[in-house]
Amino acid sequence: MGKKSWKQIRRVSQLLCLCIFLALFRLTDYTGADTIPYAVNIFFRMDPLVGACVTLAARTFISLLWPCLVIVALTMILGRFFCAWICPMGTIIDMTGHFIRPHQKYGSLSSFRFLKYAILTMVLISSLFTIQFLGFVDPFAILVRGMVFSFDPVFNFLVTGFFDRIYVSGPAWLSQFTEPGYDFFKIFILPYKQSFFYLSFLSFLLLLGIFILELFGRRFWCRNLCPLGALLALISRVSFLKRIPIKACKNCLLCEKDCPMGAFDTRGGFMPEECNLCMDCLAFCPNQITGFRFGLPGQPMPVDISRRQLVTAGFAGVCIPVLSQTSALSKTVNNDLIRPPGALEESDFLATCVRCGECMKVCITNGLQPLVFEKGLAGMFTPRLMPRLGYCEFNCTLCSQVCPTHAIERLSIKEKHAFKMGTASIDKNRCLPYAEQKSCIVCEEHCPVHDKAIKFEEVRIDIPGKGTRLLKKPRVFTEQCIGCGICENVCPVAGEAAIKVIGKASQKNNFGGSGY
Amino acid sequence: MERRKFLKQVSLWSAGILVTPPVFDITREALAAFSATPDILVAKGRDYPAMTRQLVDGAGGISKFITKGDRVVIKPNIGWDRNLAQGANTHPLIVSTLASLALEAGASKVMVFDRTCNEERRCYQNSGIKPALDKIKDKRLKCSYIDDRKFIPITIKNGRALTEWPFYRDALEADCYINVPVAKHHSSSGLSMGLKNAMGVIGGWRGRLHNNLSAKIADLNLVIRPDLTLVDATRIIIKNGPSGGSLGDVKTLHTMIAGIDPIAVDAYTTTLFGLRPEDIGSTVEGFKRGLGQMNLGRCHIREFTI
Repeated sequence: MGKKSWKQIRRVSQLLCLCIFLALFRLTDYTGADTIPYAVNIFFRMDPLVGACVTLAARTFISLLWPCLVIVALTMILGRFFCAWICPMGTIIDMTGHFIRPHQKYGSLSSFRFLKYAILTMVLISSLFTIQFLGFVDPFAILVRGMVFSFDPVFNFLVTGFFDRIYVSGPAWLSQFTEPGYDFFKIFILPYKQSFFYLSFLSFLLLLGIFILELFGRRFWCRNLCPLGALLALISRVSFLKRIPIKACKNCLLCEKDCPMGAFDTRGGFMPEECNLCMDCLAFCPNQITGFRFGLPGQPMPVDISRRQLVTAGFAGVCIPVLSQTSALSKTVNNDLIRPPGALEESDFLATCVRCGECMKVCITNGLQPLVFEKGLAGMFTPRLMPRLGYCEFNCTLCSQVCPTHAIERLSIKEKHAFKMGTASIDKNRCLPYAEQKSCIVCEEHCPVHDKAIKFEEVRIDIPGKGTRLLKKPRVFTEQCIGCGICENVCPVAGEAAIKVIGKASQKNNFGGSGY
Repeated sequence: MERRKFLKQVSLWSAGILVTPPVFDITREALAAFSATPDILVAKGRDYPAMTRQLVDGAGGISKFITKGDRVVIKPNIGWDRNLAQGANTHPLIVSTLASLALEAGASKVMVFDRTCNEERRCYQNSGIKPALDKIKDKRLKCSYIDDRKFIPITIKNGRALTEWPFYRDALEADCYINVPVAKHHSSSGLSMGLKNAMGVIGGWRGRLHNNLSAKIADLNLVIRPDLTLVDATRIIIKNGPSGGSLGDVKTLHTMIAGIDPIAVDAYTTTLFGLRPEDIGSTVEGFKRGLGQMNLGRCHIREFTI
């Protein structure tokens, strides 16, 4: 096997991982069984940054995250191979980079390399204060959320819009041709149905921003910003796989100039922790003297961050969580905040949730939505149920199955049936039987709980000029109600429902809260 | 007005040529077809497929309803994410037997669908209906989810409580429409049986129909006219319907009721719950509109035991 084929092997690996990533993304859905048989959250579970942050914030190692230890071990042997061989974000950056920055060679802009260590320091230290800011900077969180909240809905909207337009407005003979094509799309490519999400713009821009940064240099994100890359770089300092030669050759300097990661310092010295083992230099070295050999870890160079920068980052890592904890938002009681079924107690939930968006992707009613600013930055992108958009399906436990960190604890169907997310409450000023003496009772019909959490009382009412008539008035039995929100979802009152679920978080226990 | 003319309006409207919604106004002619002394067929036993076939034969045989090349709609109740024993949906064996019968009779297309209340994929799956139909490997049989593009606003000319509502195109255009509801308690309308099952082929915000629901159900049935109604009362939810959920609310009867007259079939089914036909608003309203006979004394009740 020639040296040049390593680059091809690496590309095959990247493509394969990207395909797995995309397939798992599509399979993060109800597929006819109550359980999802695939580890659709595997990319989060093998992310050592997720492992580190969640362990620090939750003060315990979550066993579900064991695959990240494998990556750590492999990185200790091979170096930062993850970035060039596995990471789907890196792959997409590689694939789109040529279009974003077509004609220029890999002009290197690596003087911001310290930033990634600074970001890493910030998220790790703020994790210590049990506030999870990982979701803003973790490459998988940005990627998956961008896909869930914006790319996938937009893609589906465009494709279905195209076919629907032909079906609805076009001639029948034309839709005879297009409908089979539509069926193909629906079966193999499109999501089951159109989804709608809050924060679609922001998620889109965050992801787009990473690709736009390619304008400033190849793999700009990976070199300068990615905190996962920073963590892997630190681990790889002890790795055994060494590139030779350890300096760019004096008469050539090609590998220094063309290295996609810019893994050479200003004096041409090779920086092993910046090398992602893409193997490009094996292919383009004119003298074919580059190679990779196993050997004992040598004398590492100092980490590419100054003490001043490190201290500043650490300071920011303290300030951000403390600022958000001292914000009034953290004490504000929000009735509308309904966490998914199985969600940990609020403060544990905020510490453990990595804002990956998987639960919102899998929610079959599209009722799980990301928080915007209701809980401040600390709560942004965490899931909440919005029953008017989609209720929590009684027999469904998918969100607890896909959560990579057990922030939503895995529930059996029996536990789910009893898990209380909130309590429904009727607004008698708007509820039809109360406010307008009209019969309705749609909420009671849909209540899935046994014995019904919404029951009705039959009362005889006078109708002027028409005698009397029986009217059923609904009543919530708060003990039984689990807060699934189907009543709120189906309530026929226009606008906000006349029956609304009040989230559990607002019903503080006796020892907490700020009341009398 | 003839049915053919109405269907023409439906297709013209779908093609965007007709601006005003199709008008449904064929009650009076159709009413003449109803007999004042209809047959009600009742089957009891454990072999549901055999009972289904027996009932269809008793009603005149499948060839009476389906001729070669017909587009057939079989409309079960698949409304809820409940399993077979919980009794909120039609028994899958009855649905699959009817589908087989329709295919044997040479139907060009057999469509099975329902607009569900819970998430449709879960309902189709856990009711057992989709798995049962998937076993019949025939390309003419389509058990598909509701396609929102196919709802067409219909003006119900003779509607008393409801004069306009979107209906599902496939249901309107079917050459043969077989209604296969499950009999169960329903807190708004008393019982959910044949007439109530029409709620599954309409669009719109159905919760908004619940004021004066019985009269509106009857009006919907002016448009949706099943050629045959076969009620699944193999097990019935006696309280906490229509969604039920507890096996304690389910009573096993091993009974199925069929007939051409939808009112008579509902009227008889009501008696299984220990109620009288006049207790159910939709039956009374349907009778008032001339949709069929609710006086069981005038019906020929034929029982089969298998």
